[in-house]
Amino acid sequence: MKKYLTVFKISFAQEFAYPINLIFWRIRNIFQIILLYFLWSSVFENTSGEIFGYSKEKILTYIFGIIVLKAFVFSTKTNDIAGDISRGDLVNYLLKPISYFKYWFSRDIASKSLNLVFSFFEITILFLVLKPQVYIQKDLLDLCIFLFFLLLAVFLFFLILMLTNLITFWAPEAGWSSQFLIIIILSEFFSGAVFPIDILPQFLQRYIYLTPFPYLIFIPLQVYLGKVETLVLYKSILVSFFWIGILIILLKLMWQKGLKRFEGAGR
Amino acid sequence: MVKEARDEIEKVIVVDHLAKNFEITIKEAGFFGKIHSLLKTQKKIIRALKNISFTINRGEFVGFIGPNGAGKTTTLKILSGVLYPSSGFVQVLGFEPWQRDEEYLRKISLVMGQKNQLWWDLPASDTFELNRAIYQIPTSKYKESLNELVDLLDVKKILNIQVRKLSLGQRMRLELVAALLHSPKILFLDEPTMGLDVVVQQKVRDFLFEYNKKFKTTIILTSHNMDDIMDLTKRVIVVDKGKIIFDGLLRELVSKFAKEKIITVYFSKAIDVKKLDEVGNVKRFNYPKAVVSVSREVAAMAAAQILENFPVADLTVEEEPIDEVIRRFFRGEKDLSG
Repeated sequence: MKKYLTVFKISFAQEFAYPINLIFWRIRNIFQIILLYFLWSSVFENTSGEIFGYSKEKILTYIFGIIVLKAFVFSTKTNDIAGDISRGDLVNYLLKPISYFKYWFSRDIASKSLNLVFSFFEITILFLVLKPQVYIQKDLLDLCIFLFFLLLAVFLFFLILMLTNLITFWAPEAGWSSQFLIIIILSEFFSGAVFPIDILPQFLQRYIYLTPFPYLIFIPLQVYLGKVETLVLYKSILVSFFWIGILIILLKLMWQKGLKRFEGAGR
Repeated sequence: MVKEARDEIEKVIVVDHLAKNFEITIKEAGFFGKIHSLLKTQKKIIRALKNISFTINRGEFVGFIGPNGAGKTTTLKILSGVLYPSSGFVQVLGFEPWQRDEEYLRKISLVMGQKNQLWWDLPASDTFELNRAIYQIPTSKYKESLNELVDLLDVKKILNIQVRKLSLGQRMRLELVAALLHSPKILFLDEPTMGLDVVVQQKVRDFLFEYNKKFKTTIILTSHNMDDIMDLTKRVIVVDKGKIIFDGLLRELVSKFAKEKIITVYFSKAIDVKKLDEVGNVKRFNYPKAVVSVSREVAAMAAAQILENFPVADLTVEEEPIDEVIRRFFRGEKDLSG
């Protein structure tokens, strides 16, 4: 355990090696939020009621929720694995008494912690500037369930990203393109990080809920907003666990097969 | 009996009939070739190691030499546990390396001249701390190792500077510290002096020599740098095309593989170089000195011939220098056995 605590510490220190980079990354996030905020504000301009089942208050809470959740769920270091594999630097880790998965998970947690701290600052600033009405969840049980879903989301995203990166074992040149497709397009779009999923047509939603993606951002946020019925809640837990199981099995399989393929050549 | 048992323990590496095949996909050249290979992948088996066997004892400093692609690095990677062998028996410190048992990994270290484990954006001392945690080195032992290594490699002043701001030579020395903090029983070195300037090369060599002597660490080295081999290793294993073609002491390598002898002559009067050329291969002529190489079998006869037909002031016959022999191995010259 101490091993991974040290990994966490050094990874945290590493983040500060390029402070400008980090700041620009956060600024990009703020702009995205501001954009979404004004878009939805204008949608609600001429109506006082609900649109797609969202009141103005709840949709704005959703948008602010995205900042925190993205900072926590989506910030990662695991996307460096593709480079590790294609450059052959993986050798360094293979020959150390350390679990490669736990190593990257520790680094992820470091990255998440740092981004979370930043996102709290950002929220405070945006709050003061925009003065939006947001929905505060006061039900302790709902908050606990929310945290539980957050944990599931972190695991799910880690597994998805890890799998995507391991493709590099077979296609060393595909590291970036596969990450772009799976992480940026699929994860952002179908997780609800751009818009709430329940504004999509019903038949599409049904399929999306069967994928692991909505459990990354959308479902945890819905739980916070208190919009999830008990039955859906159980179904969501079931689907999340199902995917976590499947992905772990896949990951183990791919890792074993990949290592056999890995020639350690300094490509 | 007792002695035999001890001999068994002393053998830290046992390799028997080891073979390694790689499967590679052939990519055709040109646009249509690329399309064709997309539709139909052609695979080719490369036999990187064919049936090699050797043992290495505790405390030995062994050099692997051979031309590029001979199988040196492949051997090193199998021994350290990065690669799976295709067939054969390999045991290192009683472990099958590719199982990568934690116990095993704590006892070895691999340093590659072209790959670094130091964190680029942080001072090396941070990486050292990380390794201390990873290898679970007790505090007192860690301090002792660190002080010792820092001292031997003279890196005290650069411990707290960001790695990216250091020169290649400084980085390499710190890499060695990082690799040895946990006092491995076996150190694998793949081209450790590659790209370093002569002064740093010498520092690294001096260090390795000292370290091997002091801690009886078994060191396996591959290098294209002749000085590395000549200064450090007593025993060399020559690999060519996936086979071991020589395994023995460095000096035996010369008597076995030297094809030529070198005759150095000082003349008392000017001579016709063309006539000297008929005796042997004139490598250098700078009156009054001439260096002629002749094949070993006729060396005595050639010397006699020169003494008889030329105005000789002085003449010596020597073995072909060791570096010349090794250079031939690096070039992968055919017909090495003469």
